[in-house]
Amino acid sequence: MHFIAELLITFAATVGFGIIFNVPKRALIIGGAIGMCTWAVLSAGLYSGMSHVFSTALASLTAAILSHFIAKRIRIPVTALAIPGILPLVPGSRAYFTMLAFVEGNYIEGLEFGVETMLRAGAIAAGLTFALAIFSFGKGIGHRYEPNR
Amino acid sequence: MGKADDVMDICLLAGEIMLKYGAETYRVEETLERMARAASFTNVHCFATTTGIFLSFEEKKEKEDLMQMVRIDDRMQDLNKVTDVNQVSREFVAGDITTEEAHEKLISIAKAPMQYPLWLIHLAAGFAGSGFSYLFGGGWFDLIPAFIAAVVSSVVVVEFERYLKVRFAGEFAAAFCGGTAAILLVYAGLGNNVDQIIIGSLMPLVPGVPLTNAVRDLMSGDLLAGVSRGAEALLTSLSIASGIALTISIFL
Repeated sequence: MHFIAELLITFAATVGFGIIFNVPKRALIIGGAIGMCTWAVLSAGLYSGMSHVFSTALASLTAAILSHFIAKRIRIPVTALAIPGILPLVPGSRAYFTMLAFVEGNYIEGLEFGVETMLRAGAIAAGLTFALAIFSFGKGIGHRYEPNR
Repeated sequence: MGKADDVMDICLLAGEIMLKYGAETYRVEETLERMARAASFTNVHCFATTTGIFLSFEEKKEKEDLMQMVRIDDRMQDLNKVTDVNQVSREFVAGDITTEEAHEKLISIAKAPMQYPLWLIHLAAGFAGSGFSYLFGGGWFDLIPAFIAAVVSSVVVVEFERYLKVRFAGEFAAAFCGGTAAILLVYAGLGNNVDQIIIGSLMPLVPGVPLTNAVRDLMSGDLLAGVSRGAEALLTSLSIASGIALTISIFL
């Protein structure tokens, strides 16, 4: 019951973010659905005992793969789906507690929170990057040698 | 002479709209090169960074080459316009519309107002903020104050940037006002978890577009554009953080 409520709230919040970023109307509901999937994957990862950073990376990968796939089908830029899709993962609360700890002078605690914030942000980036790598097979962005010449 | 000039105009107009409203650099470069090639020009080169676009091509051998640049000062978030320009460029490349039609369409996109009215955006910011305050561990009772605080920060960031055109100061002021509103509402007896309510009030300010574009640009090898986008996202986050730090040290 609690989980279903969370999913519904994620949907509403993601659609809200879609409106903030002015995504096209036909992408709003899809973006919300992708956000819901993201949150479900994150919760499933946490529930099965994975670390928060790894679950974030998995969820971000899911969101990015879904948005690449759907964006190709309905012909809109990937960002219009990917940005609302990954927003449920943004480590807003960790970032806030980092700030709070620094303001109160607990520098060690602040550093701990700060490192975790950075790791989670990095995990989001890693998921996006990996999905991009999957979807750009054959197009080739970045080589070291030219073996086919 | 006329055709080359016209194509240059529509290419740069398309690039300017896309870059201004939050497209990735690689998409701008690819779109412009495709459009110029579709108009049967050779030797097409495009170089775009976060703040400007260079485009050069030649009409025929032995004829003068064309090279122009545009500078982009404002960066906003309106992904709908990016999608529209994408559609126009796709039609132009496929040959469905002529140069004149494309020019008219692009100008009407550039002049079009936002797709959603401003009050809807503020309302959406409220829903997003209150939703995230719940997801980050707040209770049902915190939804209402988080909604109000998020609307306050959204209104402040929009109005501040409208009247005082200072970059990054808008986010600072919005974080300060949103945080203050959250703390005052909790003092007034609405809501229990002040931390979660403050986080909810900050969520509408998250620099999602530059963050995602920075990752994308760095991945596709546009190192210059990626780093500058990343710097923009970092500065925005830092100004939000300093705004909220000021609130906390004054009120909490």
